Amino acid sequence: MSPQTRLRNRISIVLNMVMAFVIMILLAQLWLFTVALEVIQPPEGSPSIVVAILLCSAIGCGAVWALIRFFLKTEKNQ
Amino acid sequence: MSDPSQPPHWKQDFPIRWDDDAYITRREFTKFLGLTSLAFLLGTLWAAASRWTKMTKARQFRPAQVAGVEEIPVGGYKLFRYPTPEDPCILLRLGPEKFVAFSQLCTHLVCPVHFQPSSRRLICPCHDGHFSAEDGRPLAGPPQRPLASWAVHLRDGKVWVQPLPEKA
Repeated sequence: MSPQTRLRNRISIVLNMVMAFVIMILLAQLWLFTVALEVIQPPEGSPSIVVAILLCSAIGCGAVWALIRFFLKTEKNQ
Repeated sequence: MSDPSQPPHWKQDFPIRWDDDAYITRREFTKFLGLTSLAFLLGTLWAAASRWTKMTKARQFRPAQVAGVEEIPVGGYKLFRYPTPEDPCILLRLGPEKFVAFSQLCTHLVCPVHFQPSSRRLICPCHDGHFSAEDGRPLAGPPQRPLASWAVHLRDGKVWVQPLPEKA
């Protein structure tokens, strides 16, 4: 196996891991969204919980976009 | 014998042409995942905005006098509307000095609940949901959430209700 092929295989593994990580974050975001829906139902939960959920979801979204950017860039250079 | 000028049967059963088949690349799918993440964030933002709006509205509700203390016997109840004329509520007198007030709307499918003094329960006749008259928590049936409740105060022989203090 040539070094170039080996490198390509490694990059492919990294890309698959990135994809798996993105999907994990998405599932976490989905869970956070369901918790947020639960909190707004009567009797309403504490507003600080909603703020914490919103913050976590924003961090997750930022992470997803950063990972996707990395994914697209790496794939293009592959 | 089939007619050679006609397309074969399998083509009629599977009429999708290869050229028309939608082919989604891994790159396109990845971009779609990004949009999904954004949609979840927007959904959570909507939930937070909804919670904030409710909190702001609740702050504007002023205490309201809903009954006289002597008006309701122990074990009795009175229906009233609070905080707006579209919100049916029920005031219960569980003891000489003990009054509790709840929204009359069942937390399952918003049917009005009724007080049953013998069991000290609020009962929803639609799907036989039972709530505790003490604190409104669900006891039986499909409801999973407690009834929305109001703070009750006695002042000058009158019963006043107001929103519960906001949780920290």
